[in-house]
Amino acid sequence: MEIFYMPEGRLRLTTDDRSYLSVKPAWAAPLTYPGRYLSLVDGKGKQIMMLTEPQKELTAEQWALVSNELTHRYLNGKVTKIHEAKEEFGATYWSVETDRGHKEFVTQSLQENAQWLGPRQLLIIDVDGNRFEVPDIDLLDPASRKLLDRAV
Amino acid sequence: MQLNDTAIAIPVSEEVLVSLEADLTEDAQFGSRTLEVTASHVTVRGPGGIMLAQVPVAEARSARNEPLVSGGRLVVQTKTGEEIPLVTYSMTKAHLFSEAARGIEQLCEGKPFDINLKEEKTRCDKCGRLLPEKDGVCPNCVKRGQTMLRILSFMKPYWQRGLLLGVTATASTLINLAPPKIQGLILDNFTSGIKSVPTLFQWVGLWALTVLAASLLQIVNGRTTTWLGCYISSDLRTAVYRAVEFLKLAYFDKKPVGAIASRVTQDTERVWFFLVDGLPWMGLNFLLLVAVAVQLFMINWTLALAILSPIPVVAILSSSMWKPVSNLFHKVSQKMARVHMHLNESLTGIRVVKAFAKEDHEYERFLTRSNELRDAAARADMTWNTAFGAMTFCVALGTVVHWAYGGYLMFTGKLTLGQFYVVNAYLAMAYGPLQWFAMLNNWFTRAMAGAERIFEIIDMTPEPVDMQGKKARIEGEVEFDGVRFGYDKSNPVINGVSFKVAPGEMIGLVGHSGAGKSTTINLISRFYEPDAGVIRIDGTDYRELDLRDYRSQIGIVLQEPFLFHGTILENITYGNPEASFEEAVAAAVAANAHDFILSKPDGYDTLVGERGSKLSGGEKQRISIARAILHDPRILILDEATSSVDVETEKQIQAAIAHLIKGRTTFAIAHRLSTLRNANRLIVLEKGKIAEIGTHEELMEKRGTFYNLVQTQSEINEIIGVGAVG
Repeated sequence: MEIFYMPEGRLRLTTDDRSYLSVKPAWAAPLTYPGRYLSLVDGKGKQIMMLTEPQKELTAEQWALVSNELTHRYLNGKVTKIHEAKEEFGATYWSVETDRGHKEFVTQSLQENAQWLGPRQLLIIDVDGNRFEVPDIDLLDPASRKLLDRAV
Repeated sequence: MQLNDTAIAIPVSEEVLVSLEADLTEDAQFGSRTLEVTASHVTVRGPGGIMLAQVPVAEARSARNEPLVSGGRLVVQTKTGEEIPLVTYSMTKAHLFSEAARGIEQLCEGKPFDINLKEEKTRCDKCGRLLPEKDGVCPNCVKRGQTMLRILSFMKPYWQRGLLLGVTATASTLINLAPPKIQGLILDNFTSGIKSVPTLFQWVGLWALTVLAASLLQIVNGRTTTWLGCYISSDLRTAVYRAVEFLKLAYFDKKPVGAIASRVTQDTERVWFFLVDGLPWMGLNFLLLVAVAVQLFMINWTLALAILSPIPVVAILSSSMWKPVSNLFHKVSQKMARVHMHLNESLTGIRVVKAFAKEDHEYERFLTRSNELRDAAARADMTWNTAFGAMTFCVALGTVVHWAYGGYLMFTGKLTLGQFYVVNAYLAMAYGPLQWFAMLNNWFTRAMAGAERIFEIIDMTPEPVDMQGKKARIEGEVEFDGVRFGYDKSNPVINGVSFKVAPGEMIGLVGHSGAGKSTTINLISRFYEPDAGVIRIDGTDYRELDLRDYRSQIGIVLQEPFLFHGTILENITYGNPEASFEEAVAAAVAANAHDFILSKPDGYDTLVGERGSKLSGGEKQRISIARAILHDPRILILDEATSSVDVETEKQIQAAIAHLIKGRTTFAIAHRLSTLRNANRLIVLEKGKIAEIGTHEELMEKRGTFYNLVQTQSEINEIIGVGAVG
């Protein structure tokens, strides 16, 4: 199996019997099984294969390409620090640091838009539908955790 | 991707057609990039205007917005087939960039650049705060004065009663100041040795009179408050309901029904409560505080200062405690909602729970939620009790100060017993409402927010129902001319559709789900209007027609027929209440509904239940067809009218439909293609465009898209058939 960009910007996958011109990686359960169960999908949206442990099953070069593609396809921010989570007039105004840098956003009706995926894992969806993930609230610094606790 | 060094510099003079800011960088980090489109180039610039990528329009074939998770990217395909992801953005910007993509594509095709970039306001102009809703009001900068005035305008028709309310409330407040004063005088008489019983009775008589007056005023006041509350709340409710009725359907797509309903009920409730209860309460207590303070200062200013000094402390304490306590109570109501949700869900799905023997699992879940509620409620109530205790202490402090300093003044002869008593009584009056002053801000804010939501609806552009358009009986010619439409403007669901239908013709709309069938119907019904192109009815652009007159000549039979609570007769005559009973029966006969209606004990007077819940699917459908027949529309729309019933019922409904479509232009969507055999022509849609038009036979002979659809379906039917036998 070979994975490469050709032409530039388009991921191509060649298996023993055929070649797929436009391949997209898609996480099957990105929140429950982060880093596992990666599906490779062809241009028509049909699954080509499912990789249970993509990082182990692919070579280092292949994984580098696939994970590059993933960073460009999954634009969710992983929250690493919360500067502010201020509730005012029914909306919550956030100012956070993420793995993609600083971001400010606003959420409404947090009962629906802050989803606990596990006891320590939280998904926050802002008014535009952008997703922000807190993978483990215990990994946040105490000040951030306090702000989060007060907000949700 | 062409980078800086290889890019061709564009002439400075060239006009920038569109310039958009993206909020993600090429490394998918949050940052800023600018997309610039000119007639000859598409350029991406970084901070400071540095060119990062450029594609000449001459080399591009197409452009599109590729949706990604939490965002999207603009992808340009070159003539050599290369796909260049030019710029990435979050969901916040996606709609703008997909519109830009459309513009780029227009340039590629040599068409004029014509896009609709309605920049939605996401931040407040004044304070820069992110707005909770696009183009919405900034909750911080909203002109409270104006909103306030507008709320007060609802009081206007009842200004006399409003005035009465103000006068009685003020009078009763002031009269309530009298009894302590009289009691003080009696005490002073006693201590100064004038022990005249008749004087005592005089004073007590006066006191009794003030109490009587105060009570009478209170009765009038209470009655007026209630009366005003009921009338104003009704006015508000109906005003909002009327505005909601004429909102564009697009609004209902975006907001859940519950959220809209709560504006009609909850928000109006908050506003009138504030208007009738909160506002007078605030005014009166302020008046009381001032009056009491004046009295106290008149009696002895040093004592007044001493006993009023804890007031700021109480005010600060109460406002600082309010926020965390109310947060805790907010959490309690959230947990309560979760318990309710679970209860509702598990009871509605009790069959599934039992079938999977999941009672224990559901019990565990319920237990968890119930315990969460228990903990939250305990915490909130316990905190509140602590806070309340602290407040009580502060209030008591005022009394303690009074007894210490006032007692000292009395013992040293600078204060009489009567004065001491009066001060003591007033003290309680001043401190009582003070405990609640902290709530005021919250109260006020909630009412203002409610008012804004109400006014937002009232001020929203309604459907053009009031516009005087042409009223005419429709012959039934329907023409689509280059129609483009998307619910999200940047993502057209119907793209360049043109066809012409003769009056009385029956057209079947065919295509995979998502091909644009329902959208076509929504456009014909004018629930939405095309973004580009024209829809003509009898040769006239239908936007020139009177909307309600036009809709009254359209009949719709939906997959899930919607009946209103009421009798069968009321439902049949819904579109035409003046129809005689004979006409209603004739319609029911034509719809194959008459016989089953007669079999009901109450015949046409049978109640259908909420949403027609007491009737079977086929019965409901036939009543809705009778309703459409009686309505006598010129254009008829059948949206999967037979798909939710069994084969036998379908036959009956088919017969009913055959009656219905006679002499009317009909558009029918049906999943079972066989049901469209009677159609004069079929329009096959594919990805928002017309793939084929023709009669059933023509399309079958052509062996194109329609043929394939039919083949697939008959294969499926065979499989189902085999399964049924086995």
